Amino acid sequence: MTVLSLLSLLFLAAFSSLASANSDYHESLVLQPLPQSALLASFNFQSNDSQASFDERHFRYFPRALGQILRHANTKELHLRFTTGRWDAESWGPRPWNGTKEGGTGVELWAWIDAVDDESAFAKWITLAQSLSGLFCASLNFIDSTRTTRPVASFEPTGTHAASDNLHLLHGTLPGEVVCTENLTPFLKLLPCKGKAGVASLLDGHKLFDASWQSMSVDVRPICTQTGECVVQIDQSVDIVLDIDRSKRPRDNPIPRPVPNEQLVCDTSKPYHSDDTCYPLESTSEKSWGLSEIFGRSISGSCPLTEGSTDGTVCLRVPHEREVRATEGAVEVKKPDGYTRCFTLESSTPFDLNIPEQEATTQVPLDEPVLRAERTIVGHGQERGGMRIIFDNPSDTHPVDFIYFETLPWFLRPYFHTLQATITGRDGLRRQVPASQFIKETFYRPAIDRERGTQLELALSVPAASTVTLTYDFEKAILRYTEYPPDANRGFNVAPAVIKLSPAGGGGGGASHPIYIRTTSLLLPLPTPDFSMPYNVIILTSTVIALAFGSIFNLLVRRFVTAEEASAMRAQTLKSRLGGKLVALRDRVKGKTAKTE
Amino acid sequence: MATPAALPPLPFNPSRVRSYILRLPLFTRLVLLAIIVFWLLELQTVWSVKQWGSLIPEEINIGTMYRLNTYPFIHFGFFHAFLNLLALTPLLERFEAEHGTLTAVALFFGPLSTFPAGAYILIERFVLHRNTEVFGASVWVFLLLGSEAIRTFKSNPYFSLGPYKIPTWTSPLFACGLVSIFVQNASLLGHLCAIFVGYLFGLGYLKVFVPPEKVLRWIEGKLNLLGRLPHYVSVDQKTFGRYGVLPTTTAGGERATPMSYLGSSQRLAAIRKLRSNPHFLFVHLPHILSFLCIVAGVVWLLLLPLNDYSRQTYISENALLPGQVHAYFSGSEQHIFRGYKKELEAILERQTPSEQDSRNDEFTPAVSDKVQSILRAAGLKVATQNYEYTSSGITHQGQNVYAIIQAPRGDATEAIVLVAAWRTADDELNLNGVSLALTLAGYFKRWSLWSKDIIFVFPPDSKSGTQAWIDAYHDMQPAFVQPLPLKSGALQGGLVIEYPFDHRFESLHILYDGVNGQLPNLDLFNTAVSIAGGQMGIGSNLQEMWDHNDSYEMRLQTILRGMVKQGFGYATGAHSSFMPYHIDAITLQPKGDGWQDEMALGRTIEGLCRSLNNLLEHLHQSFFFYLLMQTNRFVSIGTYLPSAMLIAGNFTIMAIALWLRTGYYIGSEQTAVKLPTVSAGETNKQVAVSTEKSGANTAQQPAVKTDSNSIIERQLALPLTLVVGLHLLGLIPLYIFNNINHQYYPTATYASIAINAILPIALAASLTRGLTTTPREQSQQSLLIKSFSLLVLGLFLSTLATLNFSLSFMIGLLCTPLSFVNRIDPRTASRPLRAVLAVAGLVLLNVLSPPVVLLGACRYVGVDVETVLTQAAFGWDVWGMWTQVVVWCVWWPAWVTGCALLGFSLF
Repeated sequence: MTVLSLLSLLFLAAFSSLASANSDYHESLVLQPLPQSALLASFNFQSNDSQASFDERHFRYFPRALGQILRHANTKELHLRFTTGRWDAESWGPRPWNGTKEGGTGVELWAWIDAVDDESAFAKWITLAQSLSGLFCASLNFIDSTRTTRPVASFEPTGTHAASDNLHLLHGTLPGEVVCTENLTPFLKLLPCKGKAGVASLLDGHKLFDASWQSMSVDVRPICTQTGECVVQIDQSVDIVLDIDRSKRPRDNPIPRPVPNEQLVCDTSKPYHSDDTCYPLESTSEKSWGLSEIFGRSISGSCPLTEGSTDGTVCLRVPHEREVRATEGAVEVKKPDGYTRCFTLESSTPFDLNIPEQEATTQVPLDEPVLRAERTIVGHGQERGGMRIIFDNPSDTHPVDFIYFETLPWFLRPYFHTLQATITGRDGLRRQVPASQFIKETFYRPAIDRERGTQLELALSVPAASTVTLTYDFEKAILRYTEYPPDANRGFNVAPAVIKLSPAGGGGGGASHPIYIRTTSLLLPLPTPDFSMPYNVIILTSTVIALAFGSIFNLLVRRFVTAEEASAMRAQTLKSRLGGKLVALRDRVKGKTAKTE
Repeated sequence: MATPAALPPLPFNPSRVRSYILRLPLFTRLVLLAIIVFWLLELQTVWSVKQWGSLIPEEINIGTMYRLNTYPFIHFGFFHAFLNLLALTPLLERFEAEHGTLTAVALFFGPLSTFPAGAYILIERFVLHRNTEVFGASVWVFLLLGSEAIRTFKSNPYFSLGPYKIPTWTSPLFACGLVSIFVQNASLLGHLCAIFVGYLFGLGYLKVFVPPEKVLRWIEGKLNLLGRLPHYVSVDQKTFGRYGVLPTTTAGGERATPMSYLGSSQRLAAIRKLRSNPHFLFVHLPHILSFLCIVAGVVWLLLLPLNDYSRQTYISENALLPGQVHAYFSGSEQHIFRGYKKELEAILERQTPSEQDSRNDEFTPAVSDKVQSILRAAGLKVATQNYEYTSSGITHQGQNVYAIIQAPRGDATEAIVLVAAWRTADDELNLNGVSLALTLAGYFKRWSLWSKDIIFVFPPDSKSGTQAWIDAYHDMQPAFVQPLPLKSGALQGGLVIEYPFDHRFESLHILYDGVNGQLPNLDLFNTAVSIAGGQMGIGSNLQEMWDHNDSYEMRLQTILRGMVKQGFGYATGAHSSFMPYHIDAITLQPKGDGWQDEMALGRTIEGLCRSLNNLLEHLHQSFFFYLLMQTNRFVSIGTYLPSAMLIAGNFTIMAIALWLRTGYYIGSEQTAVKLPTVSAGETNKQVAVSTEKSGANTAQQPAVKTDSNSIIERQLALPLTLVVGLHLLGLIPLYIFNNINHQYYPTATYASIAINAILPIALAASLTRGLTTTPREQSQQSLLIKSFSLLVLGLFLSTLATLNFSLSFMIGLLCTPLSFVNRIDPRTASRPLRAVLAVAGLVLLNVLSPPVVLLGACRYVGVDVETVLTQAAFGWDVWGMWTQVVVWCVWWPAWVTGCALLGFSLF
């Protein structure tokens, strides 16, 4: 099977531009129809500025706002991700860019910061997060010490750094952050053409955020060539998976009402088929779609800054025999792999693509994912629970080696002595095996309450054709009354785990680059008080306990004596004897009057 | 008179309150009694006392002048009556003590109620032209306050508040203002009229209405009222009122008239007699209290359906927004529904009978494959799960098919479950329900607004399928249940669709009871009722109450049905299995023959899913503990809990009393015999009473021997061992009834009845024979055994009441005789008499033994014992039902102890 995958194509595009250019700008859009009427659109914008001009604060393609932040925070390399939804690897195949340009749900940020020691690195990190928070209108300022980790093996710098630099890697995630248009607008503003021209003109918030899955990334890295020439590269990308049916609905009538009776596609071969009975027929033909239909607008010409790039801006991955209608004037180049064709845009003419409905004969083959991972919380109750992580190696021949990295909030207290592994072969038999059989190395940094979360990095190896399940138990901490968020009963987000497949592990396209997979984020229900009535409850229970305890205790410990005994006992004491004398004396002096009631 | 034996101080000193209440004068008592009687009368619904007697300005004419006098006696609820009683008693008592009973009667039936009423009517009707009815004793309260204020004003004209001087006569006005601010529906005008008349009275303008003293004295003398009426306040006494002539020495001498002295000394003597009568305090009082607790508990439950004690339901969680969206599920979706239905029907018909027999359900691989292919074609992720349960020798196996609509922009953090079981809770084929769920799956998939994943589950039956699925979803499944290959996030809510017939339906029946009496959040139920009724125009029912006319009887019946289901704790439908995992779920069952079709049900479910989809947090706002009496009325835990708690408390009271009695009370004297005997026993408890009486008598005997009633040591070893041992012994029947093959259940039941009859007697015999203790120790130990047994019972039941109110209430009621049975002492009754009493008591108790009650209930409902016990064992094995534990480890040991106590009497 010699199919050049989508990923390798993307990489090819990225690295060809990298090699050929310094101080230039390049943008591309790759469209690939996916099964179940989905369409993957990968936008990529890359620009380089020379390190010298960057140091002199002379910004050409590099956005000034971001450049100033990076300089201020001593940040050498920056990666920022905004992601929503989940990648359906079962239907859609491997991830775009091998997962290197996506984050976990919400916002993920990691950076290499140049600082003398850990404290100053952390201070710079906070500066960076706060500044980016303002720049991208995201709650990045909530990345504090409890959400910051220092991964050991999961991330490697992608740029070239001088050995003299004292670099610190810091990583933070906000799994609960909702990514929306307020993040897209500043993102587009960083582009040289600002979304007015070039492929970026397709990026409309309404369509973008109606996608099934969507990821925005910003990567800044210094790159030096062999000759010693250094550039600062900013690489922005937007990857979205659109539902073609949904995107084609007109904006003024977006409700998926039941179709009129005459438009139903029925299986007329069924014996019971009639006017009012319809067994729906699965359509085998591929749906028609066009750029303006799906994105609501067409590309308004190429960005004038992308001069000199020859290898097409818009690429489409459909079989060559598929009919594609492009706007007149665009140059179409069909690649030899049989599935890719690229179009080069004219600078001023709008560009549109239309793909008519056609019976599907061949499909663009999708690679099998190298590893499937699933992480869920099991158990129930307010006190404790368990984490279950399933790694499935679909390959029948190769074991897969990877780094598993997870950060847990401090209020989730894992017990790693309960870490257990089971392995299930293709025969479906579950066997309990020692976890050390799969775990080659462990890096574990326990949590400190209210200061930092748990950090766990495991180097794992899953044998061929088997599924490994790791489980461990955890305990849920009880938060202080004021530490609960307003929606405490929703549960607390636990950041997705990051899996880094080492390049040697094989699979995928770019053998020299790692593959990243992220699990879905989790919702952890914590014990929550009834916020509306703590005082009522406290007062009521205290009263009841005081009353019940008091009276029962009294009953149980008091010694019951008769009145005679009591008076006899009282008569014994000196005080009462004196008292008795006094009373007698008083009575004699006053003369005892009639005793009144 | 013998010396008072023990004078045990009580934990509180009631003598003051008691003596105050006992000293209340006659007219005050009568007024209080009348108020209480009218309040009780108001509880019935046939005749409206309020309508009859309250002061309605428009209604006043010659024929209805009685209203001018009756209105102060009438109140609109317990609290109104109670508060007014509290306020009125001291004032009226004082008034009567000052003025004498006859004057009080004359004034309060005359000017003091008619004048305020007249003034009120004049102003209300002729000045304000309104017609607000008033009633309640507060008019007298304010009137008396007014007159008191004038008196205070005369002696002490001003309050000084800093530089300001506030005349004291204004104080009732402040009180009146405060009352009208804080109390709803308080009539300001009525109170003002009363205060005004009170002022007039205090200033002496109404003296003309006071009957002349001469006349009064004459009446008093002629009728000898002082001698005949108890608590009568004579005309002569009024001069010694608090503000009348100051008591001088002569007055003091006069005061010590034989008559009044006699009265007070009699009262004192009564109190002293009570205090010096430990027999009453320790033997009779606990029985009275226990009995009162039981009666109050039952009456409390019966009060719940009234409007005053129940509440209208409401949506507490704002995010739900029920029925705020348009439901589009209609049109061509119905054609698809029919297509799916025909397709499934065809497969079901094609099935060979042999396949059918071997599976005992519809769910053959062909059906499963078809369902999976339909779901896959709709674009859902599909997976299956096999499970197998074995209970009572019956194997339940099946395959769950389920599919997930992944929320378009979601992250698998939250999900909603829709369940359509092939067999409904009533074991009918749910073809329409399954087809509807399949159609909805395709329809929902097209929407992009879902914030939560939607999971469609198709279990083969309603009993075990969902349980296997939900257990595996939380990775808590037993060995024979497969884990789930496909999962989503935390489940936020569940809906079960049933539609087992082909015709159209009229209303929706909502099932909500979970396993072990757990209930879903009331918001979910309310949302379903509100969407079905408010948006779709479909009526809803609950607890199989098809013709609910909202009357008291119907409400009570609904509550009781709900309590029976809750008490048994079995799963009423496929939704019940979700409850233990804190997932709120309900079943929607179409019922009746009307004009609603499956699309209306589909739209209701669409609306419900949209509401659940809106949730930002897990359902937590509304009640989890409630009793529903109508689709829109409920009682919350705060209101109904006292009922079961009182019943559980009766055992605790008795246990504590017995504990005290065993430690301190041995000696007594003959005086106590004169005291009234316990009225606790009703006709069916005759035996209990008789045993109690004799038990009480026996306790007095040792006084002859012991010269002093010293503290004796309690022999705890035997009672503790026995009670703990019996509770552990309960594990044996628990094990047997959950683990033997189902065909032996009837035999086991009859065997357990036989063993129950023999075991207590054998126990009693062996204990009596085996122990060489004195009779006095035996009697103490029997009391201690009872004390421990009841203590454990009371503790268990009161704890259980907070978790499963109904079960605690039912077991509590069935155990009530145990509070009153006791060992018949050999020294009081002759042997034949004892034997007869004990055997009669044993027979009666055996009727209330757990297996006999089970048999009786089965006979009454008309089901097979084997079926019930098989179901119970299934519940224990699969659902995690705890009812049996309560029966065998709480109820049964207490019952055996009670029987053994009676059995002691035989030897």
